[in-house]
Amino acid sequence: MHEASVDTNDDGALRVTLRGEIDFTNSTEIHKIITDAVSERRPAAVRVDLAGVTFMDSTGIGVLVDAMRVALAAQADFRVENPTRRMLDQLRTTGLLTAFGLE
Amino acid sequence: MMDPLEGYRGRLADLDARLARARSHPEVLLARASGLLAGRTGCRVGEAHAYLVRLAAERRRPVHELAAEVLAALERVPPRGEAGLAATVEAALPSRRGPARHATLPPAPPPTLSPALPPTSPPTSPSAPPSALPSTGPSALPSTGPSALPRRAWVEAVRQVLDALPERHILILPEYDATGQVADYVIAAAAPSVVDLSGRGGAEILGRRMSEIYPSVVGGPIWDAWRETLRDGRPREVGPVPYTSSAERAPAEVLLTVKVWPVGGGLLQSWVRHDEETRLAERIAQTERLGNMGWAEWDLVAGQTRWSAGLYQIYERDPAAGPLPREESEALVLPEDLPVRREAAEAFGRGEAVDATFRIGVAGRVKHVRMVVDAVRDAAGVPVKVYGILQDVTARETSRLRLTEVEEQLREHQRILAAEHELAGRLQQIVLPMPREPIDLPGLRVAVRYLPAEQASRVGGDWYHAAPAGDGAVLLAVGDVAGHGIEAAAAMARLRHALAALSVTTTRDPARLLAALNRLLFAGDPTGPPRGGVPVTATAVVARYEPATGRLVWARAGHPPPLLARAGRTVELDRPGGPLLGAFPDARYSTTSTRMRPGDVLLLYTDGLVEHRRRNLDEGLAPVLAVLDRITAEPAPHPLADLLKQLRHANPDDDTCILAARPLLPGEAR
Repeated sequence: MHEASVDTNDDGALRVTLRGEIDFTNSTEIHKIITDAVSERRPAAVRVDLAGVTFMDSTGIGVLVDAMRVALAAQADFRVENPTRRMLDQLRTTGLLTAFGLE
Repeated sequence: MMDPLEGYRGRLADLDARLARARSHPEVLLARASGLLAGRTGCRVGEAHAYLVRLAAERRRPVHELAAEVLAALERVPPRGEAGLAATVEAALPSRRGPARHATLPPAPPPTLSPALPPTSPPTSPSAPPSALPSTGPSALPSTGPSALPRRAWVEAVRQVLDALPERHILILPEYDATGQVADYVIAAAAPSVVDLSGRGGAEILGRRMSEIYPSVVGGPIWDAWRETLRDGRPREVGPVPYTSSAERAPAEVLLTVKVWPVGGGLLQSWVRHDEETRLAERIAQTERLGNMGWAEWDLVAGQTRWSAGLYQIYERDPAAGPLPREESEALVLPEDLPVRREAAEAFGRGEAVDATFRIGVAGRVKHVRMVVDAVRDAAGVPVKVYGILQDVTARETSRLRLTEVEEQLREHQRILAAEHELAGRLQQIVLPMPREPIDLPGLRVAVRYLPAEQASRVGGDWYHAAPAGDGAVLLAVGDVAGHGIEAAAAMARLRHALAALSVTTTRDPARLLAALNRLLFAGDPTGPPRGGVPVTATAVVARYEPATGRLVWARAGHPPPLLARAGRTVELDRPGGPLLGAFPDARYSTTSTRMRPGDVLLLYTDGLVEHRRRNLDEGLAPVLAVLDRITAEPAPHPLADLLKQLRHANPDDDTCILAARPLLPGEAR
């Protein structure tokens, strides 16, 4: 199964679902999937679902940061959803909760 | 000189020994016993063989042991003319041990038998004169003459005959009612190999009534045939007739053909299940389907070739068209693989079994097939019949080839990574020399350690800074650039040099230093990510220590806060707000402060120390806290060195940088 899949919600939001381990081995690829999807579909909002993510290293965090930048540059609302407890800890440490709509 | 005669004797003795060894081989023993037994009893060798195997199984003994015993016994006992297999073995073997079939038989004929027992023929059975009986076969046994043989001995004799027969036979005796009509049948003898459709063995059905164990037979065509044969004394064959078993675990309905012969006052019958051959064929077909296999048989003498259904499928050929001629099937082999095929043919010519994998072109597609061939040869070694099994292994071969391709790509990738790694490693050495010994700064002793990632290609962007700030204070920092390789190392170099320069020229406040580093990193790639990759982000913690007061002020950018250990208890310091570097153009950072005391140990680290793929961050932090607790529990001469020695990084994929510091005691500075 792929670590990233892209879908469109009923409300027109671009839904990015990430799974498994997001790290330096796949971050470049996932980064491309998200940037391509945003530039092609021009969504009003981008939602990144982290429910299935078991591990994320610093390059994975970089992917999320860039997804946010790309979304904001395209005037799309950006939010991260369903982080596991561990992911939530990690996003808190990196100071990203507010920017990702998690607090 | 050696006596030529002695040499000859020696060779003879050697031959004898070899012969004796060969004669005691298990298979040879069984073959000899079977042969001798067949000779004594006049049965076929195959029957004698089967009998010995069965007997061994019944007695739970190794067959070659039993064969050796029978052999020895038969060689002792002189021939006594033809007798039954069982009787002969019985007479030859001294005594029986272990469970024996006959021991399970009732000692006397079961009570149900008594009404049917002769002395006389059934009252209303007028016929069945001896002349009407077949002159050969079971009925050649002692007949039913009233005084010819006691009934029990006669049944015993039939049992011995059944013992010797390879097929499934049972002897049934009619039971008559008061009016002289047949009311039921009783099973009086059964061959040991008999297993009925419900799985019951011969011993289990012995002595039981037909109406009781096979009720569906009563009044049916088989039942009628028995009555007719009893009446006219002629053997009959019934079937195929459907038979429904009433027993549990029996097939719902099977087709049977039953053969019945008159024997004395009873009936000998055998039966065949019609679905058995079909079942075997189905099993073979299923095996072929499951394994993508097919087989071929070449009869070289008759010049005939046979193919199984599976083989037609592999060659995608209509079975009606018959097997492909040899030349045509060879023409399908891909030219590159002809040598493989030729080599296989040569090996076959040398008399070896062949196992070769090659490709054939069928219907515009390439198939990988594995061929296993063996032959039946005549005395001169010339093949008479050739058997081949072909398996379509295309799926397996394809995945194997793809794997090889991927591995090649991976190796190429690794070569590039290795080159990058070397460059990054050199860059890191230039930018970030790691002091081996602790360094003394104003009021503070600091030790740093860099734990590289286990894999060579994982050199990352971890960095540290420890230097006087210029106003009497000390600036400490640890940072981690996301990613690995040259970009990460370059970003690390930028950040570290900027921090050193800024702390001297612009500000000594940790929060403002981080804000400056953030702007630097964010502006570092104004046109977007380099090489289409992920843009660079980094985390860092910056602390300022004032030796005069012991005050420690720190700020963090997406980085874990420092740990402070005091007298055996370690806490994670507060987390002032601040996002990671390079994410937001105008990120703000704040500071918090605490006061350090002599004996305290401060630890700044990057997340390779605690981050583990399978564990929570808390779980990763626990061993680090434990080491710090232990180190500071009792005053020690070299706490920093002890600490660095004991820390291991949790994530072997990531590099780790650790910085430990403790306030210098008065007069301790070197």
